[in-house]
Amino acid sequence: MSHRETRGVQLFDLLTLGRGPSHPGPRKEATAGRPIEALPPPAEVVLPLVQHLGDPAVPVVKKGELVRRGQKIAEAAGSGVPLHATINGKVKSIDKQAHPTLVQAQAIVLTSVAEAEATELEFPEDPAWRALGSEEMLARIREAGIVGLGGAAFPTFRKLRLPPGVTVDTLIINGAECEPYLTSDYRLMLAEPRAIVEGARLLARIVGVQRILIGVESDKRDAASALEVAAGEIAADGLDLQVRVVPARYPQGAEKQLVTALTGRVIPPRALPYAVHVVVQNVATAAAVHDAVRFRRPLLDRVVTVTGPGVVQPRNVRAPIGTLLADLVRFCGGLTDQATRVISGGPMMGRALPRLDVPLVKGMNGLVLLTGRGPFEEGYGPCIQCGRCLDACPLGLEPNQVSVRVEAGRATESAEFGALECYECGACAYVCPSQRPLVQFLQVAKSALRKQRENLAAVTR
Amino acid sequence: MSGTPAPRPPFVVTPGPHLRTSESTAGIMWWVNAALLPTTAWGVWVFGPPALEVILGAVAGAVGAEALANRLMKQRLTVKNGSAVCTGLLLALTLPPLVPWWAALIGGVFAILFGKMIFGGLGYNLFNPAMIGRAFMMASFPVAMTIGWSIPRAWYSRLEAITTATPLGVMREHDLQAALHLIGGPEGWFRLLIGLRPGSIGEVSVVLILLGALVLLARGIIRLYAPLGVFFGLALMTSFSGAAWLHMLSGGVWLAAFFMATDYVTAPVTRPGQLVFGVLIGLLTGLIRMWGGYPEGICFAILIANAMVPALDLWFRPGRVQTAGAPS
Repeated sequence: MSHRETRGVQLFDLLTLGRGPSHPGPRKEATAGRPIEALPPPAEVVLPLVQHLGDPAVPVVKKGELVRRGQKIAEAAGSGVPLHATINGKVKSIDKQAHPTLVQAQAIVLTSVAEAEATELEFPEDPAWRALGSEEMLARIREAGIVGLGGAAFPTFRKLRLPPGVTVDTLIINGAECEPYLTSDYRLMLAEPRAIVEGARLLARIVGVQRILIGVESDKRDAASALEVAAGEIAADGLDLQVRVVPARYPQGAEKQLVTALTGRVIPPRALPYAVHVVVQNVATAAAVHDAVRFRRPLLDRVVTVTGPGVVQPRNVRAPIGTLLADLVRFCGGLTDQATRVISGGPMMGRALPRLDVPLVKGMNGLVLLTGRGPFEEGYGPCIQCGRCLDACPLGLEPNQVSVRVEAGRATESAEFGALECYECGACAYVCPSQRPLVQFLQVAKSALRKQRENLAAVTR
Repeated sequence: MSGTPAPRPPFVVTPGPHLRTSESTAGIMWWVNAALLPTTAWGVWVFGPPALEVILGAVAGAVGAEALANRLMKQRLTVKNGSAVCTGLLLALTLPPLVPWWAALIGGVFAILFGKMIFGGLGYNLFNPAMIGRAFMMASFPVAMTIGWSIPRAWYSRLEAITTATPLGVMREHDLQAALHLIGGPEGWFRLLIGLRPGSIGEVSVVLILLGALVLLARGIIRLYAPLGVFFGLALMTSFSGAAWLHMLSGGVWLAAFFMATDYVTAPVTRPGQLVFGVLIGLLTGLIRMWGGYPEGICFAILIANAMVPALDLWFRPGRVQTAGAPS
């Protein structure tokens, strides 16, 4: 389905026998049918003090100290969130460790100890959990160390604290999961629909809206049904919760796309969903919010899809935060002989990692092991103006025009073709038959335009 | 790391996205070449060995010139991507079957050097290289390009191919009646469809051109906007001539509409742009055929429309405004 063309044009396209340009398909077969499996507590976890956008947490434990799973081991600082022990263990070290996105960062390393030495903290239900004020709920969400689990890792309490002047009328829960290969959100929706719905209701009360829309892609109708059933079992209590099926087409799960698909509202270029009175949260985040508010339970584990042709037994794994990726891969039968690439997140917007001895962090929803040498093995060719990128771009931008201008050394002339609006979903680069690195061309154009604007501001000041 | 198997570095680190379509530029070009095969084979069948010589000459000229230019321009060798073969083949398919093979070879060389490589190679050329080659040959070998037509299926019954004129040529020199006589009377439309008429090597069989076009449409390689525009424009321009159907089924319209007006590099990139581009080609073709100096006008129509493409690309841009994806 095209996001921007009129119906008439779509009808005309049927004359081309209904086949548009190629498009990243879901490729979720390997793990879609596999329920979430719990990873046995690993021998060691590495817990970076920064797993979110914001200030690093400050350690409150010392080397050699015994800690219980669930215990806070680093206090929130500034705009950040705290960090908790995800296994029963002993603090082995507090020092620089490999980090999946920051290359290296301070981290607390725990080695596991026998149950006789330390046991997991218990988190009993707070009987008054449905009647809490929004400040108390926000405090519990922050205290639980919750960040956006869909990949962005923005501290959830900050997203829920609306900036002055912002009014919101709709909460959107993102269950689209459009990245190829990934099924962690899908399996979570099937396994814990109740927690997601309850979490969504709590989130709605925090931001003060009645309307909740849960968006699920059409290749996951059973997940949508599970959520609908769960919602039906809970008294409406003044909230209007609807589960909506949206077309399965990458990048349907991008905030801009999902907000438009569900509400018809278009988020202006470079603006946040606040601009159209919407707050968006991921389904896994909603479930974590439920646990945090109801049980004061911190974020200790997350579901991650370990998949791709480079792993022997693809699985959906619930693993403690801080588990080394090598342990995850071993749980999934190890690497195949062909494995050459390690992608953290989904294969479209995720990033390639050089190594497996880095920890699972809060925002990592997938670990995709790929084969082959990657997209630029044979270099790239010239733009042949085939127009496939124009059809692929969900925003109607012109990656072809931007790329040829960047190549010609005229990056600053690419603003009118949308360089600044691009959120780098990669759909254009996927379809390019000349294998052009269009996302990178757009990044170059973006930074050139920003620099030009800064220079201009400096001159006119 | 305790208890973990030694990871196998180094893993390959490349920027995203980490998945790519299997479709490639070379793949597209070879599909276009494959789609031209039926009409090419038909051309050889009905016009005989001279047609094959012309095809081989043009393709050899185009491929050789590209390889030479690659070397002179210190580029990677690009002949394997099929685009030079495509240019040479398309040029040959628009030539009269009795043109000398060496003229076709020179045409192929010119098409690649001055139609494509001088602009920087594939992707940078403004004009359709095959049509540049044909225009060059019309200027350089005017006689051969005007009288080099032969009667279809003449080649195996006689030693010498019998020269003749094309329906459009006859209509221009004499009248519609004479043209109808050439194709076998008013019922001749059937001979036009299957390709039993004098004409350029690859333009005569509407059915086989359509077959190739269907393959490209089914694979999503071409869209219908430009071809439909060509037919609409030509029908509009010739509708008062009393011979619109002869115009539509004769000359190089079908080959040009599906294989030249759809060339990515030299056509607009958006759907509305492609439609306007096609209409422009159709109108110009009719104009040249009826009031211009040539019986067939599609070659110059394409070249003129090519010149409009940068403007069309700026006038017809993709829509930036989104409409709601309707939830089901």
